[in-house]
Amino acid sequence: MSTVSLGKGGAAAAAHGEVLVSARGLEVHFPVRSGGPLRRTTGVLRAVDGVDLDVYRGETLGLVGESGCGKSTLGNALLRLVPPTGGTVTFDGIDVTALGRKQLRELRRRAGMVFQDPFASLDPRRTVAQTVSEPLEVHGLHPGRQARAARVQELLQLVGLDPAVATRYPHEFSGGQRQRVGIARALAGEPDFLVCDEAIASLDVSIQAQVLNLLRRLQRQLGLTLLFISHDLSAVRHIADRIAVMYLGRVVEVGPAAAVAAGPQMPYTRALLSAVPVPHPELERSRQRIVLRGDVPSPSRVPSGCRFRTRCPDVFEPCPDVDPALQPVGSAPGHVAACHLHGVVGEPVRREQPDSPVDAGDPAARPVA
Amino acid sequence: MTGQPVPQTAPSPDATEAGVRSTQRPPRPRWRETLGLLARNPTAAVAATVLLLIVLMAVFDETLAPAGPNEISVEDRLQAPSWEHPFGTDDLGRDILSRVILGAGVSLRVGFLAVAFALVVGALIGLLAGFYGRWVDDVLMRFMDILFAFPAVLLAIAVLAVRGPGAGNTALAIGIVYIPVFARVTRASVLGVREEVYVRASRSVGASDLRLLTRHVLPNAAPPIIVQTSISLAFAVLAEAALSFLGLGTQPPNPSWGLMLAEGRGFIDIAWWLAFFPGMAIFLTVLCFNLLGDGLRDVLDPRQRTLMAGGGR
Repeated sequence: MSTVSLGKGGAAAAAHGEVLVSARGLEVHFPVRSGGPLRRTTGVLRAVDGVDLDVYRGETLGLVGESGCGKSTLGNALLRLVPPTGGTVTFDGIDVTALGRKQLRELRRRAGMVFQDPFASLDPRRTVAQTVSEPLEVHGLHPGRQARAARVQELLQLVGLDPAVATRYPHEFSGGQRQRVGIARALAGEPDFLVCDEAIASLDVSIQAQVLNLLRRLQRQLGLTLLFISHDLSAVRHIADRIAVMYLGRVVEVGPAAAVAAGPQMPYTRALLSAVPVPHPELERSRQRIVLRGDVPSPSRVPSGCRFRTRCPDVFEPCPDVDPALQPVGSAPGHVAACHLHGVVGEPVRREQPDSPVDAGDPAARPVA
Repeated sequence: MTGQPVPQTAPSPDATEAGVRSTQRPPRPRWRETLGLLARNPTAAVAATVLLLIVLMAVFDETLAPAGPNEISVEDRLQAPSWEHPFGTDDLGRDILSRVILGAGVSLRVGFLAVAFALVVGALIGLLAGFYGRWVDDVLMRFMDILFAFPAVLLAIAVLAVRGPGAGNTALAIGIVYIPVFARVTRASVLGVREEVYVRASRSVGASDLRLLTRHVLPNAAPPIIVQTSISLAFAVLAEAALSFLGLGTQPPNPSWGLMLAEGRGFIDIAWWLAFFPGMAIFLTVLCFNLLGDGLRDVLDPRQRTLMAGGGR
């Protein structure tokens, strides 16, 4: 896929420091099987399709995109909770895709995950203490019943819960409290890296802010590196140092949060940002919305060339023929976008490729569901 | 329901979300909660009590039985129920009440052994098939299908024909028949549980497969298995009776409800009590196991549980 893009990764790294997690050409393809006893593979669903992404130590990277664009799959693949089908992931210099049993367990300690739905992510039959101490038991941290209990108390306090709740069951808590328990579990192994997969999406709005602030406080206090996956742009703008925009399995724009928010360089990012309401009546009335036509193409029938071309308001001649690579855009260092409007860079589409479903010609063509 | 808020030491904004879902209930083990709910289900509570009495009867059978099981008395043969012999006597003058009491131990022991065997083997197979899927699932479940395809009684007869009659072999035969039932129930339940986010969450902190299976998947997949256990006990008691009736289970002169039913069959038009009382014992036991199973199904269903625990007080 896009192999050209990483030359300027060096410049960005210089500005930010050390890379902690890095994906190169990362692919997660799921086979689409027919029914029946033979289960023949009839297609490929490209949930993540050639992602290049660096996460720097100590930063908060916001990953945004509409539902179904592969954000969560990407987050899971970085932690090898979903096996990648192509490309590489490195964590602190170690190739995650080729880990042995023991090393994988160590990765699980050093990289945690906070899940979307706090009502589903806690085992209903286990107490808060049992849930939070599970990583301690698995990794043999704080051995001994008393030491573990003390550590659980510490962790509960860290996320703003009364240590006395340790003996309670999840159904006795509200969504925000449950999410705090989930965060405490993720922090128990003293990880360096935390993936927050839509961690606030299923909470009430008033509680979203609390959890967001909690995450920000923990990030500073513990020096965490955060990958904050969300479809909520205003939340991401609030918490993230850098923003990565994903569309149909590919990262299409990455840059410092302020630069991406103020000067989006890719039409899709522009459309996404124009949909965020402004909390000021006059500005809100004068806000120009870019409304995209059509639906997101199915990830099992990705358009040729630029995958956004079927909905792009600025589509032009090279778009169906050249797969755009990330290239430096705008004035901020480290701001990259995959768009031919900034110069045609990328890999020409090879038409004779039999297994890539080419959706050539009509830019408005939409795959039949 | 008025809830006492879960106390928090959190920064002040948390005060607003505290206590929304908390309850006044002190933390207590889940099985006690289950027992409490079961006690409030009258049918299941009665069934459980009767079963407890039957089990107690089986345990203290020697003390309770007015006569020995094989005390033959020719002058007392085929006596109708009376004060001296409440359930009457059979063709050899043996006291039927004593034989019913002593037969409880045989019938229940075979039932419990059979179900325990089927539960352990079947649940293990279902757990592995459901959790690992793919070829493990295919191999194990096709094997279960083969076992399932045999008519149950035929399969049990085949096992007994190979191993010879007797209580232990009867239990084994019935157990083998019920393995696929437990495997299927367990697999179906595991298929649902393994997709739960908390299983993935546990994996994300490094838990091994063994840990996932024993700490998360099995406990959460257990309710249908518990219900199946209760209902299978009823069928196992019935199956023991059927096999003994056919002459393959318990051997005379040992008392067993099914065997007594078979022996009493020939006297049904002159001495109904020979078959009636063992038949009633089977009926009562099977009915109670079934009612208890139904009650457990209600109590262990999480939605019902919330309804009963939350709305009921």
